[in-house]
Amino acid sequence: MKRIEILNFKSPNRAPLKVEGFLFGEESYGTTIAIVGSMSGDYINQLYVASGLVDYLRQKEEEGKITGKILVIPAINTYALNMGETFWPLDKTDINMMFPGYVQGETTQRIAAKLFESLQGYDYGIILEGRRDQGMCLPYVKLIQSGYEDIDSARDLGMRFIHFRPYSPIETVMLQYNWQLWGTKACSVVFGKNGTIDRLSSGEVHGALVRLMSKRGILDTSVFEGYASNIIEPDDITVLKAQCAGIFDSLVGCGVVVQKGEVLGRITDALSGEKLENITAPIDGVVTCQYANPLIFQNSIAFRIASAITKR
Amino acid sequence: MIEEVFSIDLPVGEQFRIQRCRYTPQSGETKKRISIVSGIHGDELEGQYVCFLLGEWLRSNPEKIKATIDIYPAINSLGIDSITRSVPFYDVDLNRIFPGSKNDFLPAQIADGVVSAMSGSEIAIDIHSSNIFLREIPQVRIAKSQADTLVPLANKLNIDFVWVHDAVTVLESTFAHAMNTLGTKTLVVEMGVGMRLSKAYGHQLLDGILNLMACEGFLEIAPLEVRMPIQSEVGEVAYLNASCPGLFVPAIEHCQMIQKGDIVGEIVDPLSGQTLDEVIAPIGGILFTLRAYPIVYEGSLVGRIFGENG
Ligand SMILES: [Zn+2]
Repeated sequence: MKRIEILNFKSPNRAPLKVEGFLFGEESYGTTIAIVGSMSGDYINQLYVASGLVDYLRQKEEEGKITGKILVIPAINTYALNMGETFWPLDKTDINMMFPGYVQGETTQRIAAKLFESLQGYDYGIILEGRRDQGMCLPYVKLIQSGYEDIDSARDLGMRFIHFRPYSPIETVMLQYNWQLWGTKACSVVFGKNGTIDRLSSGEVHGALVRLMSKRGILDTSVFEGYASNIIEPDDITVLKAQCAGIFDSLVGCGVVVQKGEVLGRITDALSGEKLENITAPIDGVVTCQYANPLIFQNSIAFRIASAITKR
Repeated sequence: MIEEVFSIDLPVGEQFRIQRCRYTPQSGETKKRISIVSGIHGDELEGQYVCFLLGEWLRSNPEKIKATIDIYPAINSLGIDSITRSVPFYDVDLNRIFPGSKNDFLPAQIADGVVSAMSGSEIAIDIHSSNIFLREIPQVRIAKSQADTLVPLANKLNIDFVWVHDAVTVLESTFAHAMNTLGTKTLVVEMGVGMRLSKAYGHQLLDGILNLMACEGFLEIAPLEVRMPIQSEVGEVAYLNASCPGLFVPAIEHCQMIQKGDIVGEIVDPLSGQTLDEVIAPIGGILFTLRAYPIVYEGSLVGRIFGENG
């Protein structure tokens, strides 16, 4: 293992921002993969999985099991992680909205450019992502249709769902899209609840990463088969919104199979305690994602259910 | 008439709301409508002052009103009342989520509510104040694809600069893009600095809005005498980014004409007492953006200069 400096960026008064990568199998001519951890200050789960992976790979290296080249960058935005911020602490810009970066540009564009440069030339790229809302979800693969996406390698992760969809305008400045355009088979693994560590989904994601590396000849280790991934397109998802604002109680976990008519959650008035609403499943399916804050807004998405029934 | 155009319950005994003040002609029906908008970013307040000035003018001149004039001073009302640029709680930039959706999270629903309230307007003017980091002279920014329709309109706004920029996909999620797509001619004004008021700019833009409304048939008044803005198409924009971290101390007070080689400011180190770098104008022209917030990292924008070719 080699600990490498991806970037070292001076601050007016703080100690410099140091982004480090852990490189395994540097001399290898085999298949290569890069794994990007926490880009936001609240992606704690992603940090946890990435650093856990570094430790795992260090052991595998001692056992002589690394057959390709692996780069793991556990944390990018350490400045935000160290102070409970989400984005770049000075100007609140999101590093994952700055790709492909610009070396002559603004601070976070420069950081993105340096990071992007260090990620060039890898065969596979995995971005560990958290949520962009107040939800939590069953770990899933997010693969956007840039025209260069590779669904076969995404399947090798063996996760239950691959969310496969067209990209939105803001995704053109995100890492996945740009990484794909520059020739890396990149996808994101989205999981957990921001700001927390969920050991179950962390374990699942760790297993998926090891599985992919094993299947693609980067790691010489035997693994259990994962899921034959279900490809989920936007039409397969039923969105359940809260009619009322108030205190939200979820009665189910992510990944639970639910039947039409089943009560999934309850909303009560935050002041009077009056029972305002039962949220019930309108369809059979699997809860893939749910609101994860005890206070809910009117019309917020309380649950998302993936259904095979709506499949064409 | 003050109306609520969007309301959504917050968790604990309150509503998130967007209000507008609507002015209509004293007599006769009209379908013609203009929307004046501010506060999509909660830390930008220059537009609030312009909304006040315009409202004050319309209240004293009701007989001049020929069409519907809607004023929306505070789109991100939660943000404005709490110095929060993004939508609080969600930490999402509202101007990157348009046109929004009824089926998505709160920021997307707000965007959708804004679009439905304003669609059908002939013209919209979206007033921003840069952010807390930069001070801007009054300017309108227009995507190249919209230049033919929007530049003639922008020229009526009594601003100093019209900046036509290349289309960027990410800007397709802005309010202006969403409205222009729906056929509302939407101008984005940037002026002043975040969290502050620049009174003179407010009055300058008020004159521009009155002039535009006179020219476009919203007001029964003679067009005003307005300045012709500098057009970005006749020159180039130079970006001045900090070469090192430190404290940026401007050498000039306001946005102004400068010569190539002039010192725009210095980056100094308060700890060692050393001057780390001088920020020098790479071209001559008008310094239309100047940093207002002194702490800089490498790359922080400290200024922008527009220089005419030749
Ligand atoms: Zn703004």
